[in-house]
Amino acid sequence: MSKEKTARDAIEGLMAGYEKLGYVSDEQIATALFLAQQLEKPLLVEGPPGVGKTELAKATAEYLGLDMIRLQCYEGLDEAKALYEWQYGKQLLYTQVLKEKLGDLMEGAATLDQSMDKLHDFEDVFFSEQFLQTRPLLEALRADDGIVLLIDEIDKSDDEFEAFLLEILSDYQISIPELGTVKAKKPPLVFLTSNNTREIGDALKRRCLHLYIPFPDAARENTILQARVPELDKSLRTNVVDFVQKLREMDLKKPPAVSETIDWARTVVLLNMDVLESDFVKNTLNVLLKFKSDIESVESELPRLMRESQNPKQQNPKQQDAKESGAAAE
Amino acid sequence: MIADFVRILRAADIRVSPAETLDAAEIFETIGFDDRSILKHALGQTLAKTEMEKQAFDEAFETYFRVPEETPPAALSDAMSEDDAGDEESGESETQSGSDEMSGEGQPQQAGEGGEGSEGGEGGEAANQTLTEMLQNRDMAALQAAMQQAASQAGIADAKLFTQQGMFSRRIMEAMGLADLDARIRQMNEGGETERAEQLKQGRAQLFEAVQDFVERQIAMRTKNAGRLLREDALSRIRLSNLDKSDMKIMRELIRKLAKRLASRHSRRRKKAQRGMLDIRRTMRANVAFDGNLFNLAWRRVKVERPKLIVLCDVSGSVAAVSRFFLMFLYSLDEVMPKTRSFVFSNRAGEISDILQNDDLEAAMEAALRQYGGGSTDYGVSMMDLAAATLDSVDKKTTVMVLGDARSNYGDPGHLVLKEFYERAGRVIFLNPEPESVWDTGDSEMKKLGAFCTHKQTCNSVKHLERVLDDLLRLSS
Repeated sequence: MSKEKTARDAIEGLMAGYEKLGYVSDEQIATALFLAQQLEKPLLVEGPPGVGKTELAKATAEYLGLDMIRLQCYEGLDEAKALYEWQYGKQLLYTQVLKEKLGDLMEGAATLDQSMDKLHDFEDVFFSEQFLQTRPLLEALRADDGIVLLIDEIDKSDDEFEAFLLEILSDYQISIPELGTVKAKKPPLVFLTSNNTREIGDALKRRCLHLYIPFPDAARENTILQARVPELDKSLRTNVVDFVQKLREMDLKKPPAVSETIDWARTVVLLNMDVLESDFVKNTLNVLLKFKSDIESVESELPRLMRESQNPKQQNPKQQDAKESGAAAE
Repeated sequence: MIADFVRILRAADIRVSPAETLDAAEIFETIGFDDRSILKHALGQTLAKTEMEKQAFDEAFETYFRVPEETPPAALSDAMSEDDAGDEESGESETQSGSDEMSGEGQPQQAGEGGEGSEGGEGGEAANQTLTEMLQNRDMAALQAAMQQAASQAGIADAKLFTQQGMFSRRIMEAMGLADLDARIRQMNEGGETERAEQLKQGRAQLFEAVQDFVERQIAMRTKNAGRLLREDALSRIRLSNLDKSDMKIMRELIRKLAKRLASRHSRRRKKAQRGMLDIRRTMRANVAFDGNLFNLAWRRVKVERPKLIVLCDVSGSVAAVSRFFLMFLYSLDEVMPKTRSFVFSNRAGEISDILQNDDLEAAMEAALRQYGGGSTDYGVSMMDLAAATLDSVDKKTTVMVLGDARSNYGDPGHLVLKEFYERAGRVIFLNPEPESVWDTGDSEMKKLGAFCTHKQTCNSVKHLERVLDDLLRLSS
């Protein structure tokens, strides 16, 4: 019973803490964060673009007071770019230097065998830390007091890279053939994000907690806007949210995400709008929608949308105005 | 209990690995059972890893964690409380009991109150009651618990088919002490207590109903997808020409699934080739001229050949069904498939590559079949058409696939044209939906056509299709 109490408390604490940092979570998200920390498991976050997946990792780093290392995945990303690489140039220089010094070193060695023995006496520095160029993943493992590691858009990387991540994600360690195994001093908190452009392998999924963040509902989006664009006046905020929620119901190529709602809200503030007017909406649709065909199809529906998104709340006379202008435009 | 839940999830087509089961156990420990919504989120995040699985998980969670812990099924509780009302009254005065039972049925509210009262009063001491006592006392909690226990004794976790429902109900009843109850009823009848016996009988009937309901739900939960899997398996073996219209939908789904599997298997192999690493040996060799100073670095690379594929499909009559699925399959594979040009023919061949690129493959196929299907098969002319359109672009990297029954209505089978393809192309594959035993019978020209094929085989089920395409991909990468 006490365990359960602490779990619920911890989760609610997390929600409050994140909200202070401007990230509005919900129970689902907070549970995932709680588990990720408790079980020391990576968290795979999926969802449509722009719902705050990357933001979640950033907020976590801020919340825990840790640094964040971000690894952006792309097709062709391999361990040389993600983990470590030998500094070939430096190594080549080293051989050049070695060659010049070789004569001095070999002094006194009469036979070939002797000189080989002498050579072997030297430390093998060729593949050593001095020539090692660390990359994000190795850096994350070497961080002293924990770190937030964000592996962004894992779905953009190749299958092999995914397979290569497995060791890191399950044991928080990496094997470098020439140096041995590097184990994390403190397990990093790992976030993986995916837009689902391709199916992530089962092996990877198995090792992660899986969190799906959908588009937020009106209430949560409202809170998000409140946190992110506090300048926006309350009734206008409701209008903005209603309108965006309506847009998501339409059949669009790319429905507007939270980040677009925020951008749009900022636009409203920037242009000092008091009400959502039809003309204004029409002119700023490009903030919300990113495809020409989407914009066109919304424009034709605009009067209806404006009416519907404002009709339910008529207590505000300004809204009434807006509605009329919408009707006039029709 | 976790194991049992995991089994149910697996039945609902959610893939849960043993390691994930362990994670789930850990979660139970961290979170406990009491906070349902958090438990649900937490388990969902560990066990269900795609959106579809999430939905299935939610459903399974609701069903599973409702049954054992929350209120007993409404039917049982209602029925029992009616019985209870009757029972209590009958204890006071036997003459009234009949009418009271009537009123019990007429006024469910009163019955419900009675039920609550007795549950609260007797829930605790249920352990060693016999079934008769439970029924007489109408002890809901005890009955429910007994049913659960009996169910696990009867091995309901292994239930697989709906036809087992009767058997399991019977077993559960027996485990709950049916024989005892029957004996008791008989005894009462003999002892003249017909009224009470009657009530017990009624209680028994209601209990039986409740048990049946319980078993049905349990089985449904556990076997939700078994039937579908069985069906898909069967469908993948069935001859495509024998396919029923109603199976089309499952079939499409199946093809999509198989195609995805093939695609993921082969994309891995192809991509491997595109990686570059320092090739020490070649670097050394390339720089010997510079006195060992490494000027030019050589990178390891594997050349990827992108073979071209030309497909010619017979869409007349008997072969149409197979062709249709073949093309469907092929285009579901566009991720890993090299560029494909497809032609269909009956009496003339025509290219349909462009219309097949559309999203709505089904409609595209219909259009193609309308345009080119229907005529009587003419291999000779169709081969000529194909040659005119593609022969120039055929080289050693090209694979030519012909799908047809090789029955040319005693006309020119076009084998001489095929020979030209054979000489130029890397491979010519002939897929014939007919079994090998009827090749070369009647107007089948398999012998003539087959002479100019690197490979010929029977192909009339999805399983065959998968194998053919798998081979094709393996050779091409």
